[in-house]
Amino acid sequence: MKRYIPVALFALAAFVTPYSVNRVFLHTGIERKMGTVQKIFYFHVPLAWIMMALAVTCGIAAMIQLRRQSRLAEATSIAAGELVLITGLGVLITGPIWGHATWGRAWTWDARQVSTGLLWLIFAAFVLLRRYGAGGSDRLAAALAIFGAIDVPIIYYAVKIWKTTHPTTDVVGSLPPQMWNALWPCLIALVAMSIGLLLVRIRQEQGAMALDDAWIAFDERGAGKRGEVGDA
Amino acid sequence: MLSFGLKSAAEAAPNTGEDQYEPVTGLDQATVQCVRACEAEAAAKTASDYSHVVWAYGVIWSLFAIYGVTLWRRGQAQRADLDALRRRVERG
Amino acid sequence: MTGRARIPIASGLARREGLGFHSGGFAAAASPARSCYNRAVVPLLRQAWLLARNDLRQELRDLELVLTAAFFTVVVLVMFALAFAALPASAHVLAVPGMLWLGVAFAGALTLTRIFDREREADTLRALLTWPVDRVAIYFGKLLVSLSIVLGCGALLMPALALLFPAAQALVARPLESALLLLLGSLAYCAVGTLFAAGLATASGKNVLISVILYPLTSPALIFALVSTRALLEDHPQFPTYLGQLAAVDAVVVVLGAWLFEPVLLGGARKPAAGPSSRTRSRRGEAT
Repeated sequence: MKRYIPVALFALAAFVTPYSVNRVFLHTGIERKMGTVQKIFYFHVPLAWIMMALAVTCGIAAMIQLRRQSRLAEATSIAAGELVLITGLGVLITGPIWGHATWGRAWTWDARQVSTGLLWLIFAAFVLLRRYGAGGSDRLAAALAIFGAIDVPIIYYAVKIWKTTHPTTDVVGSLPPQMWNALWPCLIALVAMSIGLLLVRIRQEQGAMALDDAWIAFDERGAGKRGEVGDA
Repeated sequence: MLSFGLKSAAEAAPNTGEDQYEPVTGLDQATVQCVRACEAEAAAKTASDYSHVVWAYGVIWSLFAIYGVTLWRRGQAQRADLDALRRRVERG
Repeated sequence: MTGRARIPIASGLARREGLGFHSGGFAAAASPARSCYNRAVVPLLRQAWLLARNDLRQELRDLELVLTAAFFTVVVLVMFALAFAALPASAHVLAVPGMLWLGVAFAGALTLTRIFDREREADTLRALLTWPVDRVAIYFGKLLVSLSIVLGCGALLMPALALLFPAAQALVARPLESALLLLLGSLAYCAVGTLFAAGLATASGKNVLISVILYPLTSPALIFALVSTRALLEDHPQFPTYLGQLAAVDAVVVVLGAWLFEPVLLGGARKPAAGPSSRTRSRRGEAT
């Protein structure tokens, strides 16, 4: 039963994505100031929300991992951390593409851009630590994830204050409700996609952990046998 | 509105004498050029917008696709690992 | 949580380890009548101070950390001066805060990679963890040590910058504010750094990762410090506000660091055999 949840989510995404694209491009007006390029908004903004949610998920899972020594929580934090990297990359690439068309410059040191970039760096450090850290660094990585999740608002606030010394650019003003409504199908599609990938990755990580344990048990048993033979 | 004006001007042109042009009424040359320039700019903007949009959407979905492929390959490697373990257990 | 695993073998072990503690402090901490007060702040700070004093005393004997950090600070300063000497004078106000805090960050990373070295080399961290000391006290002790060294580097940086760049006069002209700013900024940096340095010290010597972790993680604190420094240099009326925000970040980071120190070092409620990364590693090591 559990196996089919990701499949169902992917199927949902596969249905909703064409619908959302249809709705965004054919049934929603073109924004007056920015023109067609504003269509990036419909996938860029939900992706940014998903990234934040995944960062917080990663932090909470890491907290549970530290408190309860839960394998599931550990796998969740790993999976969420990786997906933060993926979605963050999406946000960080589509943002400048949009900015390039709207403001004429890809990187404008907008507070959101900078804070997203910094957050992405923290989770890149998390993934690096998970991958290349020595034994015992899983707990350290968990601490890093907790720090990262708590840093989310602090970074945003810090960059906002830091920004007061820089010229500000008006990003999205107020959009008509029609455009907000077209956002929801895109959000559903992306959320279904991300949760599906998250679940797959969690299962995979759990499998990897179990496999590691099995290998170690096997090796230890083998070593024990050899030891007995040697003694005799 | 503007295109309607242009259309009527185009229709009006052939009806005049043999090789003699009669000035188009209602639209002067400057306006026509201005409109053309406007249209060219709008077309360029739309084309550039489309390329930006296509790039952005492509990036998002290819990122997901790449991640999906990575997951799949990792799964394959895991399965191979499991098989190796199984073989060794059967052997030893 | 922190009251667990308190083994009353304090003073004997302290002497055997050759760490010059006043046995009174530890006997007091270990006695069951007093142990219930260990959660109180005063004994905790006392323990932290004893640990830090011990470290600092050892440090004063060979001055290894202090001298290398100071020299590194000077080198970084020279590099900055060479790189930015050609900047127009109007840009100095913008560049000096960056130089100050990058200098602190570099020197801090160097200090923090070394701060647990002695423990790792002699494996005294494990011994320290079996002591009847509050783990949080170990954290605060180490924090105090690294903070004092980083503050020393900052004390070197500030006058030197003021000397090199006329725009940085305020760093010397308003010593009280500068000192407070340096203290608050370095505290946030060291509070994060000490936690992760401790974690990496127990993991077998991959200290390189600390700069990978430290710079992104401390970026909000460094941004606040940058903004405050610039406000100080420009005599901005909002300087106290920025300083207050920096202090708030300090509070968050110190509390979080102290809270996470024990789980990171000891593995929370029950200790697992090994983390999955070490499992994988050991297996891969055997396979190759």
